Amino acid sequence: MSAVTLSSAPARPARLRLSALWLAVPGLVFLAVFFVYPVAQLLGLSIVDPESGAFSAGAYQRIAATDVYLRVLGITFRIAGWTALWSLLIGYPLAYWIARLPNMFRGRMLLFVMVPFWTSYLVKTFAWMIVLGRNGIINSLATGSGIVDEPLPLLHNQFGVMVGMVHAMVPLAVMTMLPVMAGIDRRLVQAAQTLGAAPARAFWLVYFKLSLPGVAAAGLLVFISSLGFFIVPAFLGGRQETMLAQLIITQVQELLNWSFAGALSAMMLVAALVSCLIYDRLFGLSTIAGGSAQVSTGRIRDLGLALLSAVATLSGHLARLAQTLLGKRVCAGLLPGFCWLVIAFLVLPTLLVIPLAFTSSQFLEFPPPGYGLSWFQTYFSSPLWIQATIRSFAVAFVTALAATAIGGFAALALANSRTRWGGLIFALFLAPMIVPRIVVAVGLFYLFARLGLIATDLGLVIGHTVLAIPFTLVTIAAVLKTYDQRLDQAAATLGANRLRTLTGVTIPLVKGGLVAAFLFAFITSFDELTIAIFVSGGVKTTLPKQMWDDMILQLNPTLAAVSVVVFIVVTTMLLIAERFRSPS
Amino acid sequence: MTNTMTRPTRRTLLQLAGGAAAGALAAPYLTGTARAATQITVADPGGPFGPAFRKAFYDPFEKATGNKVVNVAREAEPTAQFKAMVETKSYTWDVCTLTLSARDILKTQGLLDPIGFAHADVPRLMPEAISPEFMGTDVYSTIFAYRTDRVKNAPASWADFFNVEKFPGRRALRKNPIDTIEQALLADGVPLDKLYPLDIDRAFKMLDKIKPHVAVWWTGGAQSTQLLQSGEVDMLPGWNARLQAAIDGGTPAKIVWNQGLYSIEGWGLPKGGPKADVARQFIRFCSDPKAQAVFTEVLAYGPTNLDAYQTIPAERAKVLPTSPENLKLMAIANEDWWSANRSKVTERFNSWLLA
Repeated sequence: MSAVTLSSAPARPARLRLSALWLAVPGLVFLAVFFVYPVAQLLGLSIVDPESGAFSAGAYQRIAATDVYLRVLGITFRIAGWTALWSLLIGYPLAYWIARLPNMFRGRMLLFVMVPFWTSYLVKTFAWMIVLGRNGIINSLATGSGIVDEPLPLLHNQFGVMVGMVHAMVPLAVMTMLPVMAGIDRRLVQAAQTLGAAPARAFWLVYFKLSLPGVAAAGLLVFISSLGFFIVPAFLGGRQETMLAQLIITQVQELLNWSFAGALSAMMLVAALVSCLIYDRLFGLSTIAGGSAQVSTGRIRDLGLALLSAVATLSGHLARLAQTLLGKRVCAGLLPGFCWLVIAFLVLPTLLVIPLAFTSSQFLEFPPPGYGLSWFQTYFSSPLWIQATIRSFAVAFVTALAATAIGGFAALALANSRTRWGGLIFALFLAPMIVPRIVVAVGLFYLFARLGLIATDLGLVIGHTVLAIPFTLVTIAAVLKTYDQRLDQAAATLGANRLRTLTGVTIPLVKGGLVAAFLFAFITSFDELTIAIFVSGGVKTTLPKQMWDDMILQLNPTLAAVSVVVFIVVTTMLLIAERFRSPS
Repeated sequence: MTNTMTRPTRRTLLQLAGGAAAGALAAPYLTGTARAATQITVADPGGPFGPAFRKAFYDPFEKATGNKVVNVAREAEPTAQFKAMVETKSYTWDVCTLTLSARDILKTQGLLDPIGFAHADVPRLMPEAISPEFMGTDVYSTIFAYRTDRVKNAPASWADFFNVEKFPGRRALRKNPIDTIEQALLADGVPLDKLYPLDIDRAFKMLDKIKPHVAVWWTGGAQSTQLLQSGEVDMLPGWNARLQAAIDGGTPAKIVWNQGLYSIEGWGLPKGGPKADVARQFIRFCSDPKAQAVFTEVLAYGPTNLDAYQTIPAERAKVLPTSPENLKLMAIANEDWWSANRSKVTERFNSWLLA
């Protein structure tokens, strides 16, 4: 067998593949040690009887004995799917609009889009409770003005969960699609129109088609990250909105049945991998992983083109109808108008947090009964809060550097090689996103305890880097997809060595993707709670951990004050960075 | 509440000490110089517990014995961390607060060390508050509260809570079978002292009736406070101190102690811990009635040493679960039953919720 395979593979290209894949090795080793090993150890518990230690399939039999776990899995996938869909539907026009803006405004608009990033999940979720609740802002306005008699049911149902999750995920979708869209040559659309295509047709069959790698990457990232949510469904959901991560956490933390938790995690992992495969078949996931643009061939491709063509015709009619009904001026304002609405939706919870931070009340209530600075005083006079803030920034910064480097090289390796291992390696790099964080956290705790990394900043950085790598890889891979490899070859022809090609050609050209990857990794670490709980041992607290600890009895407004401080610091930093970036 | 202003500074100081302690641990030659005094790391629930325990237990213990106490915040459910700590022998904590259910889970898995004294040593301790591996410091109670501005017809029992016609109002329940099953049975007329073993089928029949009327299923303590405070619901079950926090903050609400179920939180030792001797001394110290009375000044939890009421002001005693008036209305939740049945009943409860 092996002889056949050996002889059938041409020798020279095989060596070429190898050399490109070398770039992925640091990432592979890192993930093997700090992710695969600890997680496999924990998942291994699922086939061991907790009492006797012997081999047992009991945990899986228990899952099969009732339909509750499969139903929760179904709910989890349904919620994640809807979140991905809505995030793309809302995020695409916004990304499209931002990509068309002049450079100067683009940076500023991105700051707005990223606003939700800088507010902790806990605070955002409570802000939505204040907006959507029975006595919330929307219902007070609606009942007060007499539009409705009864308060609208906006919270503790699927609607509430969708608002919270889509709000958290739209920035991710936009940031993933934007570098791809910015890389599309607009003259192609003009060329299509010159050749007689109607605007709608030119958009759908040229621009939209070229932006698909970004859409596919964004959809996947949002879908997979949504699978692991537990804070949002717990606080904004109702009776029916239970997600699998919540059940796994209960098994790990409350019932201490790690064997069963391992089985549930394995089930979630398998389901996620299967959906990745289906996704790959439908949307061509490997366009992100590999370099080849022609994944979908034959019937699926024809079907896709036919569909796009139908959409183009339909939207062409719609556009004409809208123009006759509303007039040209109004129509031109539709896209910016929609985008500003989306931005308002994105910044609303953060804006709300500002008055809450200055409240004189003990609670997060709106409107505040009075104003004062006492919560800021609490924050600034507490070295504990300040230390946690500094640690969070430092850990996030180092994590972002490490994850961008590892993910960037891996993306480069995958883009330059055509092995059949590409898909597998890609799946491995994505896996930290699919495995529930609590499983990674417990697994890492065991490993770190042996390595003496518990309660160290290095332990936090390692744990957060594991989680951030998928985001950096996908973001950079999506940009590399639209990147013309012949530029590298041209540089090589002109005598540049590999390093020089990388620093002089590739990196400057994919800068947008690198910045986005860095920011994703930064925010992944900055807002991470589960790993921090286990690895910090309560000694080295990060900001989310400190917030979590502080809300034992009630969610007090210190959290709002902290959010405002963090928001100001981050925005200032980003504005300064923006200034340095664009010398114009 | 006056403590809010001073709270961060106190906690801050001890966290600074915590940082220093971690440094000292990392450098063994430094700890050698501190001969007589041992430093123990205590995991408490964090938040307002930190300063309250500091004032009531940590500072007096330091003064009395010369040892040092560093406290860190533990997770709401510290069992997973506890297990991992013992199995890897990386003792970040020398002693940790546990609920009775956590105690039972850890005890079954052999992760606890004995505390080294018995009920006979502290006779005024509630008998349920002490076992070979555990000593309770505070009692919390699952009761319900209602908004006095919205609910005009005051409910006084679980039967009233479940009676949506006679006592109209938006309701919440906890998204967890623990306590909820008991509440349904009490509402259906099962006497408080004959609850266990729980009749699960009967409980679900009762829950079926109230299911369509439950607007919110809460999952965390902070959420229950917020639900009451914001008026999202008009009545909900919860833990007394959390709901009391809303009332102390000015929310027009009232707690119904009748048919409440209480439980106990206290100290446990991780198996094989290196500083178990001092940790045992510390646990024993926490049984002191005067120290426990100081603790209740800040948090509305009940002392386990009933002698503490000799020094607690009558006004404060009214909102504490173990004051004689409140305690006689309630019963202790049976952890043994839950330890044996929790995972099965949780599964059925989750399934029922989705149906």
